[in-house]
Amino acid sequence: MPNFKLDDREIPFEKGETIIKAAWRVGVEIPHYCWHPGLSVAANCRMCLVEIEPAPGGRAMMLDIMKWDAAKNDYVPDRKPKLQPACQVQAVDGMVVRSTTSKHAAEARAHVQEFLLVNHPVDCPICDQAGECKLQDYWMSEQRTFKRMRDEPVHKPKGVVFGDTIVYDAERCITCTRCIRVCDELVGDHMLDLRERGNRNEVVLAPGRKLEGDYTLMTEHVCPVGALTSSHFRFKARVWTLKETATVCPGCATGCNMYLDVDPREQRAYRNRPRDNEAVNRFWMCDDGMMSYLREHEGRVVKARLGRDGGREDSKVPAALDRAAEAIAKVPAGKLAVLLGAQFSTEDNLVLAAFAKAVGASVYLTAKAPWRADKILRHADQNPNRAGATAVAGGSVGSLQDLLAAAAAGQVQGIVGLGADVDVDANALAPLSRIGEVVLFLSHEGPLARFATVVLPAASWAEADGSFVNAKRLAQPFKRALPPKGDALPAWDLIARLGRAMNLDLSYTKLREVRAALLAQAPEAHPDSRPMAVSADAGAQAQKGA
Amino acid sequence: MFWIQAFVKIALIVGVLVNMAAILLWVERKQSAMMQDRIGPNRAAIVVGSVRIRAAGLIHSIADGIKMIWKEDWEPTGGDKLLYRLAPIIALVPALCLFAVIPFGPTLHVAHLRDLWSPEWATETTGTVIPMRIATLDVGLLYVFAVAGAGVIGAALAGWSSNNKFSLLGGLRASSQMVSYEVAMGLSLVGSFMIYQSVQPGDMVNWQMQHCWGIFVQPLAFILFATSAIAETKRVPFDVPEGESEVVAGYFTEYAGLKFGMFASGELVEVCTSSALLVVVFLGGWQLPFVQNTGLEFHYLGIDVSWHWAHIVVVLVGLLTFIVKVLVLVFLQLQIRWTLPRFRYDQIMMLGWKILLPLALLNVLLTGFGILFFNGLPTPGAMTP
Amino acid sequence: MTATTKVIRKPQRTMADQSYVIELVKGLGVTLKHFFKGTRQMVTGTTPDLEKHPYADGIATVQYPEEKRPYAQRWRGVHRLTHRDDGSPRCVACLCCSTACPAQCIYIKPAEYAEGDKRRGYERYPEEFVIDELRCIFCGFCVEACPCDAIRMDTGYHMTALDDRASFIYDKAQLMSHVGQDGTQKSANPRHEPGDPTHPGVTRLHGGH
Ligand code: SF4
Ligand code: SF4
Ligand code: SF4
Ligand code: SF4
Ligand code: FES
Repeated sequence: MPNFKLDDREIPFEKGETIIKAAWRVGVEIPHYCWHPGLSVAANCRMCLVEIEPAPGGRAMMLDIMKWDAAKNDYVPDRKPKLQPACQVQAVDGMVVRSTTSKHAAEARAHVQEFLLVNHPVDCPICDQAGECKLQDYWMSEQRTFKRMRDEPVHKPKGVVFGDTIVYDAERCITCTRCIRVCDELVGDHMLDLRERGNRNEVVLAPGRKLEGDYTLMTEHVCPVGALTSSHFRFKARVWTLKETATVCPGCATGCNMYLDVDPREQRAYRNRPRDNEAVNRFWMCDDGMMSYLREHEGRVVKARLGRDGGREDSKVPAALDRAAEAIAKVPAGKLAVLLGAQFSTEDNLVLAAFAKAVGASVYLTAKAPWRADKILRHADQNPNRAGATAVAGGSVGSLQDLLAAAAAGQVQGIVGLGADVDVDANALAPLSRIGEVVLFLSHEGPLARFATVVLPAASWAEADGSFVNAKRLAQPFKRALPPKGDALPAWDLIARLGRAMNLDLSYTKLREVRAALLAQAPEAHPDSRPMAVSADAGAQAQKGA
Repeated sequence: MFWIQAFVKIALIVGVLVNMAAILLWVERKQSAMMQDRIGPNRAAIVVGSVRIRAAGLIHSIADGIKMIWKEDWEPTGGDKLLYRLAPIIALVPALCLFAVIPFGPTLHVAHLRDLWSPEWATETTGTVIPMRIATLDVGLLYVFAVAGAGVIGAALAGWSSNNKFSLLGGLRASSQMVSYEVAMGLSLVGSFMIYQSVQPGDMVNWQMQHCWGIFVQPLAFILFATSAIAETKRVPFDVPEGESEVVAGYFTEYAGLKFGMFASGELVEVCTSSALLVVVFLGGWQLPFVQNTGLEFHYLGIDVSWHWAHIVVVLVGLLTFIVKVLVLVFLQLQIRWTLPRFRYDQIMMLGWKILLPLALLNVLLTGFGILFFNGLPTPGAMTP
Repeated sequence: MTATTKVIRKPQRTMADQSYVIELVKGLGVTLKHFFKGTRQMVTGTTPDLEKHPYADGIATVQYPEEKRPYAQRWRGVHRLTHRDDGSPRCVACLCCSTACPAQCIYIKPAEYAEGDKRRGYERYPEEFVIDELRCIFCGFCVEACPCDAIRMDTGYHMTALDDRASFIYDKAQLMSHVGQDGTQKSANPRHEPGDPTHPGVTRLHGGH
């Protein structure tokens, strides 16, 4: 691999790569605003200027300048090397690039930074970007001088509503055009544009348009400053009180990698952010996925309950488990059906599959109905873990349709299920009301919940460690971000407890044990089986907050 | 007539003493405040219209009384209910009873109230006579010791019946301390008995009227008695029985409301009684220097003044003198209470047994020698008072 | 080098000390001196003016609340929220104070101004602003942290003793009702309000977006 030298470090690069990208790959950040690893090069912010030494024997590109000489109290002629944008210049083998070690580059960065702040409102107290703002970061690392301009800054429109999801503040905008490039290059829809020049430069909607589609929140995600804010997160929290957890979007079978940001003081999820993974979602997520953090708080089942229809009552988990064990014991042999859940982790499904095997039940799958797919990220299958659930069941499971048919034929008299989602018409569920005992492990309410005779509260995907297998058969682990709500416990734990209450051999008490079983039974669904070359983690770190 | 007299006097004394307790509470607070550069209690007020009567903090004593009455009368479970209720009574009543034998003024001859001046009355004993004391007992001060000794039972019972280890410790300390100091107290007065040739307080005052105040013939005894008397009241510096830094509040830890009030006022009444005793035995009782039964008599240094007063005036001056003397001593006792730090328990015991007791015995010995020296060997007849 | 030693003799107690009587009289002298001085001052009404001579001899009691010692300018009392000219809170709900608060006793619910408000889009405001004064340690970090001079502790009020916890939970209305020691409720860091003449932005050609 060819190399170039950045300050003191040898950096390998692939042919055609820019300096900044090669550095980003190995986790070295060259200050920048307009460049984004997932977007084309605009080279308009000039923050990434570096000094490139002339090739051996080559002639240095020098500029004649006037320099202030304090001793003479006058400007004197001087020369300085011409700096070049690292985001645009392609790396060449043996090139010597100086960024942090160049005083000219440092000076240039300080001046670009000061220039960007000339008309900036410095709204930080009311700006949602504060704490993860590039202007703030680079002020600290590159500038550290006070504003010299004494005039009132140019004022521009604030709080411009770009669409249902995005609000724009022109005063804070540094017109880096990242947002415009997201629309152009990711979505392929030129919804945003620039108008005016210089001081008055600002981002506007394309005439007659508003910001819409499935990727609007990505504009906010790439905005390096607080110019674009998302209306759902706007004014709700401060980023420095949030704690990020690396997790996976539960929205669809793509399994976009993301961070779930929670406020540990309130135990509340506040937003999702895409987590870079070249193999899955690159740098992006769709709007529905970005909003999936709301699922942590909406429609949750947090208490055990017994009884169906009018006779429902809340219960404690141990009592409900005993009741469930009794109920299942009453079901005649061979008449029990087990419903795996495509919305639940592979670990949950594995333990339920083991349970099904132990009691000799037939195995089906609950899943959500397909949704709108696109060619960017969204997969038609709304279920994050259909592949994982299928894998632990030995490669094939019956659908809910099959279960309904079996129920109608009287072959099923009891159900143990994970999740309440259905991919059929709600009216078609009628045969279920004839089934005497339906034990459901639920993190969320759903159409099936109304048939349950015993409901046990299961942890949501954000409340337990686990893994999903996406449509590309990539098993991806996710971490617990919050403690389970109410009486909830991880579903695999509840199922194992139920098994033990029925004297079955389900001895799982730790996730470690479940994962070991997973490795033995369905190694391809184990998260460690993930083909690597996935995440440029160092780059992801450098890009955090961008 | 005798019963009416006795009843009036008892009512008067008890009334004065109980109210004195309330007033002393105020005095104590104010006095300590002044000593410590503070203002002391002054917030409690009786509001009449827009006027707040604060009476320099006196209202606090009333408020305290009201508070004590309305406080929940809590009783510890597991204690001895009967003894628990009895204890504060035993602590307060003896303190009040002590006053029964203390003469607080010259004898009032009713017959002489009418004639403003008749010098003969001073020797006359006819007609109705109202002695300014409740009871004239032959045993005199021995009664005082007997009754004062009963006070310890109150503290001991309180400590025992509270079913609380701190109370018990306090009760133990109280009884051992009071028993110890009773000994020194009794012995310290023996010298006075020898000189006055009587155990009757009235005779003692008469002796002092004719000769000189007891403090001049018995200075050591005065200090010994005063010390033991303060120890008997269980107040600082002798307050280990209720040393709050060690035993919470000692024997009355478990007492609240009026029962606690009885302990507290018992203490203050004891201060009054001990002061009265000191006055009677050592400071000439109601007697003012140069004032005789007939009026002012000054026959020294070549000056002869003989100013005869009406009988009622003599009696009133005597009464007033007694009260003032007692109040001065009370004031001094309070001052000592706010000046000295608390003694350690072993120091108290050492002081009682190893210092006061030997000194009291020494005092008896010295007094004996003194009497021998001045009077020669007594003849049997001289012993009659 | 030789060390110089200074022998400090243990004070010897004399017979007079031991007898305690003389020492007692001396002690009584001290307390009596104070007693008479204090009594004279009280009776004649010549207690020292502690505001002017805080270390004067004699009675050292301040009759709070009738008399108050003036607080230092920087004394940290109960919080207040400063006002804008129109009486709304200066606070922009940035949560800097609640972040800085070591006792975590500030709860702020930020919100956007209502539709139609001229500040909508410009700023956020505290829909709820609650300080638990029982938890507060009166460190003043919140005041230091505030970028808007919206929160201050210059009221000169101290926490009074109240008999239920709820009374110590100060809400926005209560905090806004407090007045500074200087008698005003204004912020020293006002802001160009959108729409007011000092705000140059609105005169720009394409200002009305
Ligand atoms: S964009 Fe950055 S610098 Fe500007 S107000 Fe927001 S946080 Fe502050
Ligand atoms: S809104 Fe943000 S991303 Fe778009 S041009 Fe302005 S600063 Fe860049
Ligand atoms: S004074 Fe300190 S503890 Fe109190 S609210 Fe302010 S920051 Fe919190
Ligand atoms: S009081 Fe100040 S620091 Fe606190 S939220 Fe309001 S503006 Fe921010
Ligand atoms: S990052 Fe290179 S010019 Fe903006």
